[in-house]
Amino acid sequence: MPRPHVQHDTDTPFVQSRTGKLLGRHWALFFLLGMMAIFAFTGPGFFEIVNFQNIIHLATISILLAVAETFVIITGGIDLSVGFVMGLSSTLAARVMVILGSTGIGEPALIALGALAGLLVAFIPGFISGTLVARFKVPPFIATLGMWGICNGITLHLCDGFLPIAGLPSVLPRLGNGYLFYIHKGQSFTLFRKPDYIPDERVRELIRLVPFSFILIAAVVLVFWYILHKSRFGQHTYAIGGNIDAAIRAGIDVDRHLIKIYMLSAFLAGLAGVFNVFQTGIGNYTTFSSMYELFAVAAVVIGGASLLGGKGRIVGSMVGVLVLAVLKNGLAISGVQPFVRYIAVGVLLTFAVIIDQLFPDLF
Amino acid sequence: MNTLVAQRKRNALGTIGRNWVLVFLVLEFGYFAILTRGFASLHIVQMILFYGTEVFLLATAELFVIITGGIDLSVGYVLGFATVISSKLMVVFASRGLSPLGAIVTSIVITLCIGLIPGFVNGVLVAKLRVPPFIATFSMLGVCQGVSELLMQGIPAKNLPPLAGTIGNGHFLYIVPGSGISLLQRPDVARGVRVIEIIPNAVVFALVFIAIFAFILTKTRFGQHIYAIGGNIDAASRAGIDVKKHIVTVYMISSFFASLAGIIYVMKYITGKADAGAASLLDAIAAVVIGGASMFGGSGTVWRTIVGCLVIATLETGLRMRGTPTFDKYILVGVILIFTVVIERFFPDFKR
Repeated sequence: MPRPHVQHDTDTPFVQSRTGKLLGRHWALFFLLGMMAIFAFTGPGFFEIVNFQNIIHLATISILLAVAETFVIITGGIDLSVGFVMGLSSTLAARVMVILGSTGIGEPALIALGALAGLLVAFIPGFISGTLVARFKVPPFIATLGMWGICNGITLHLCDGFLPIAGLPSVLPRLGNGYLFYIHKGQSFTLFRKPDYIPDERVRELIRLVPFSFILIAAVVLVFWYILHKSRFGQHTYAIGGNIDAAIRAGIDVDRHLIKIYMLSAFLAGLAGVFNVFQTGIGNYTTFSSMYELFAVAAVVIGGASLLGGKGRIVGSMVGVLVLAVLKNGLAISGVQPFVRYIAVGVLLTFAVIIDQLFPDLF
Repeated sequence: MNTLVAQRKRNALGTIGRNWVLVFLVLEFGYFAILTRGFASLHIVQMILFYGTEVFLLATAELFVIITGGIDLSVGYVLGFATVISSKLMVVFASRGLSPLGAIVTSIVITLCIGLIPGFVNGVLVAKLRVPPFIATFSMLGVCQGVSELLMQGIPAKNLPPLAGTIGNGHFLYIVPGSGISLLQRPDVARGVRVIEIIPNAVVFALVFIAIFAFILTKTRFGQHIYAIGGNIDAASRAGIDVKKHIVTVYMISSFFASLAGIIYVMKYITGKADAGAASLLDAIAAVVIGGASMFGGSGTVWRTIVGCLVIATLETGLRMRGTPTFDKYILVGVILIFTVVIERFFPDFKR
């Protein structure tokens, strides 16, 4: 006598079981934790607060770009120009600072104006990409690939070929790499800047906590998390990615929305570029081999988004960035050759998507 | 009557719309020829072809994949992988006492076989495991980059047989005006005697393969099936085409062409390095799109793709001869790329 319901229960494949679903939904997180556990044994100094701070501080740009890419990918598009828009903002901000520096304007005003120029210029490629995608129906891949070339060319003009722009106020890297708390064990405790009696060479004696970049990251992630998950703008973004025809029929002005999305993406890339000036103290163009845009897409996909659109979360993308960042840091600390990382990222990414295929209706 | 005229006008517009890239290439060449002294010469045309060879091959590679509706981001680093493998092998074989020609030919054959592996893996990932092509080939990009860097250990191969450079930088035909012609071998002439060199070997080598695969794409059943898959994968599958097998083959063709490009790179520059093709990916994809293929698959031809490559190569050489910074090329390629797609909307019968 067949007992279908019981039979069904025992035959449930692993991927549909409760544990399976939990693992499938959060596999990237589990993977991250597992990786950290392994590196804790293999890498001396990996499992320390200073190292974790470093990982996140160095991943700031990746995080900003991944947030940008998350929005675009949810609409079913892709933004290949983020890396070079970032380069454009970085060089323009630096160039403006250098030019204003010769006029004798005060340093704070000069930095503010430079940063503002870098942020504002990013809207232009974003607006153009968005208009091309929304109004001229150019495939996002092509529109943003074109913008990639255009921004790259203009950036190289700004830095006269392949020369990073130097000669900026020296306070920049101190701001970009500064910390909230400086503790000299048993001696002093200062906020925002290191105590004056410690020279730069001995800065390692200090315990430095909470880099300024954390505040930037926290603000960006919080604001854009709210926009994506709690606001109407975010709902419309998902609606467009899920079914664009339905979104149009539901009365969403899809064209306008898409233009906004690409501008938002470019703005975040611009923010990354300006931050880059603060972090390095020079204006950097983006090299071909850096592949920021591809790594940003990779992080978003590892975080559970689908390139077909309609799927993706800010927190997921953060986990995706951290997976890549921890992998890089952990392998380096464990003394693995840096090139192995490229292979590891490749394998991991494919793995991410195959898992996603195994659990089709989870996200 | 009116409809007939309208139809004719429509057809004429359609023809221009389909072939505007060719018109654009002619205009572009004319522009540089008028503005730059010595641009319209056999030497410059051959130079454009010579420096464009790798992009011709990469674009052909990309075209096959794009026709199926996919994308192959790995071609640039498969090129690099092939340069590393073949240069290493040439050095090894030459040092083991093989004749230079033997070492070169053996290395080329082995490299072409190894070069099929990335494509096979890409194809299996895309076709069997349903990984989006963007992700599968980006992963392969990383793997190829990592493996080539590991093999290279930061030192590009040295001591390649000099014959490689002779072949790679040689010409197919040499004409000494008044005294005769010579195939492949540069004739021994006194200093100051003019030798007309016709068609670099690298270009001949590349064009032979491109022509063979252009034939396969247009004249064989396999080629038709590829278009069918790109046009409508469900219909193709219902029509009894083994879609998975075809897709795997297409990705293998792609990495085969990328490896060919790598071999040509080694023969031209007598070195091999992992990032040899890093900057060529944009050019290759742009050439295919400028050549009128749709990113959604189902359309695109080899000869238009080559015209697309020539648009970019002419631009690069022209700008260099005019003394403008070469990075203006990136801006112009970007503009042309976008312009191509936008302009085709204004012509009738456009499919994209």
